[in-house]
Amino acid sequence: MDIRAHVSMVFHLDKCIGCHTCSIACKNIWTDRKGTEYMWWNNVETKPGTGYPTLWEDQDKYKGGWERGKNEKIHLRLHNRLGGLTNLFYNPYLPTIDDYYEPWTYDYENLFNAPEGDDQPTARAISMITGKPMDNIEAGPNWDDDLGGSPLYARNDVNLDELSEGEREQLNEIERVVFFYLPRICNHCLNPGCVAACPAGAIYKRGEDGIVLISQEKCRAWRMCISGCPYKKTYYNWASGKSEKCILCYPRLESGQPPACFHSCVGRIRYLGVLLYDADKIVNCASVPEQDLVAAQRDLIQDPFDPQVIQSARANGVPDAMITAAQNSPVYKFVKKWQIALPLHPDFRTVPMLYYVPPMLPVLAKMENGNYDIAGLDKENLPAMLSSLEKARMPIKYMASMFSAGNVKIVEEVYRKLIAVRIFKRAQKVKDYQPAEVEAALAQGKTNAEEVEAIFRLTSLPTYEERFVVPPLGREISIEALERPLDRKQATGFGIRSQTPKREF
Amino acid sequence: MVENVKPPSIPRYFLFLLTLTGILIFIASTFSVVAAMGPAQAADGATVFKEKCVGCHTIGGGKLVGPDLAGVTERRTKEWLTKWISAPDQMLAAGDPTATELFNTYNKIAMPNLQLTPDQVAAVIAYMGSGETTTASSAVALPPGDANAGRAYFVGDLHFANGGPHCMSCHSISGVGSLGGGNLGPDLTINGYSKYGAGLPAFLASPATVTMNAVWKNTPLTPQEQADLFAFLQEASVSQRAPDTLLLIAGLAILGAAALIGLAQLRWSRRLKGVRKPMIERTLAAKKR
Ligand code: SF4
Ligand code: SF4
Repeated sequence: MDIRAHVSMVFHLDKCIGCHTCSIACKNIWTDRKGTEYMWWNNVETKPGTGYPTLWEDQDKYKGGWERGKNEKIHLRLHNRLGGLTNLFYNPYLPTIDDYYEPWTYDYENLFNAPEGDDQPTARAISMITGKPMDNIEAGPNWDDDLGGSPLYARNDVNLDELSEGEREQLNEIERVVFFYLPRICNHCLNPGCVAACPAGAIYKRGEDGIVLISQEKCRAWRMCISGCPYKKTYYNWASGKSEKCILCYPRLESGQPPACFHSCVGRIRYLGVLLYDADKIVNCASVPEQDLVAAQRDLIQDPFDPQVIQSARANGVPDAMITAAQNSPVYKFVKKWQIALPLHPDFRTVPMLYYVPPMLPVLAKMENGNYDIAGLDKENLPAMLSSLEKARMPIKYMASMFSAGNVKIVEEVYRKLIAVRIFKRAQKVKDYQPAEVEAALAQGKTNAEEVEAIFRLTSLPTYEERFVVPPLGREISIEALERPLDRKQATGFGIRSQTPKREF
Repeated sequence: MVENVKPPSIPRYFLFLLTLTGILIFIASTFSVVAAMGPAQAADGATVFKEKCVGCHTIGGGKLVGPDLAGVTERRTKEWLTKWISAPDQMLAAGDPTATELFNTYNKIAMPNLQLTPDQVAAVIAYMGSGETTTASSAVALPPGDANAGRAYFVGDLHFANGGPHCMSCHSISGVGSLGGGNLGPDLTINGYSKYGAGLPAFLASPATVTMNAVWKNTPLTPQEQADLFAFLQEASVSQRAPDTLLLIAGLAILGAAALIGLAQLRWSRRLKGVRKPMIERTLAAKKR
């Protein structure tokens, strides 16, 4: 047992309204510099859709993440050692700027400065690459937003590949439109492909909290991380010649605040907390067969109340405050205790530490006699919610392809529990379910009244402090392993750097 | 259409090849920079003349590559001589009539700029006017030369006794060596015997050009080596051939580039050539059907 702490995340997809506030908060803080125009460390995609960059989930093309070989061991999909060497100066699997999008701004000045004329002045789109006007914008980071680009984009979603014709038909049942939102940031994986692919050893995972960072001093622009990360969450800054990625706002975390995208989230879908995990199990967790991946990942996460776990964590130098934070962690509850949050694409085998509660509404809404019906009775006079999973409008297979490496059973269990919460609370407030039905729902969801209440509270009525349990990170203590914090005391004034950092652009 | 973001029409590895070529050229050129000159010496006319001039001139010993300099101080003004010896290249370029005439008379071999200091120029002019005479440095009769040994010296199979570099590191002779020789010095197919003629041994004994002088001043050729090289350069197969080095190099370069591109195509034939555009095109095409 080798217990360590990880600052982890849960996104509750039923609550995301697709407003992109999170993306803007991130952009304004971190990626409004030269060279970062096209980057969205936080982006929100519409699903089904092809996302950003286009088809990032298609690893036949981008070669991201890990693959389980015949010897049951995993290896990078990108290359082996020899291949890495021969591709060192030319990585053949990089997305082009067109696969992200050509970033643009608008000529706002024209609204003020245009000479007097017969027409209203307009603000034309200006490319942030060429500086020239763009008359036809062809793609953007959320191009298939609300299925806007559906006929061309959404139908190419790789998660639809496994669906039969009939199942695809279900997608079109209501107004030919079904979708949900998928906000994405770096998953701060336990077995990160980006770290493994970097030939310069510039990417590292912080010991005390698991945040994955790219050293701007060591990065040599080989850009292997961009291919190595299956989520395409490292980006190359063309102006500085270094790669960059989500830093989980560690400067904010270190001062006790949640990351900006978490803080600003309008739907309050985001939860942040500590998980204690057993590092001895990472290799196994990343190498098990597809259908066992989620179970292995749950098994990796340890009970923060177990005295043995606490002891091992202490022995590893995990501060008590961190352990307390793990005990209060909303992430622990969603992922391990209630088992309703799932990793995104565990099949990439990077063991992502960002978990998603799958969305219910697009799954259950049905068309009945020309009316939308999300809770009515079905033909056998059973509450539709209980029987409709099989005929779900957003096929369960689709969800399984995203959240459980194709294991339908796991996704079903999650939904059964979520449905139980729904029916239980509805019976309480609206009183249109009979006690027997509620009992049946709880049984099917393998849950009980107490757990359902807890899930309900943390889903619908959580306070700021319940959503974000930011541990004291103690960076000042952690760096003692590498440098002596008191070295520069009484020497250089503010800060611990030997030189004043220079802003270059 | 977003015209601005066409995926680059040149494959990206082209840039890589280009860079590689650039680096190779850079390395090659660094190697060919020749060691800096020795320190300026006290202006002693006799020494300067012996070191810099005897490769092409005598005083009263007859013409070699350049004219016999006996009585030159009477033929030309001191001012002209000073200018000429200091910077013959500039005078030729400026089209000085006397300089041009000399150039034409002497087989279009330009007198090199010897980078002499004003002191040295003055000293050497004084020396030429002093009535001293010299003979060709090769006048000490050379032993009979062996063209095969000369060839071996040229390509580097035999080493010069005093440690000088073999000729091929800077010069080419068409048909010698499969990759030709260096390109720093002139191609000796046309600039060797056929140009310098009988003056060549003197030149070999004490090369006059700045670059050659710097190299050979401290590692002179022995008389036997001079004779062998002369014999080799004199051979009809060398001196009467047309140069083909340029073609050869161009040919090799094209072949090499083709091979590299072929190799790159093979290595990266399955590279990602854009995702979004092809996807859109595929989908549109499927819809039409
Ligand atoms: S999601 Fe983040 S940690 Fe995981 S591989 Fe990508 S960049 Fe690395
Ligand atoms: S701010 Fe929250 S609700 Fe809005 S898009 Fe982002 S994750 Fe969804």
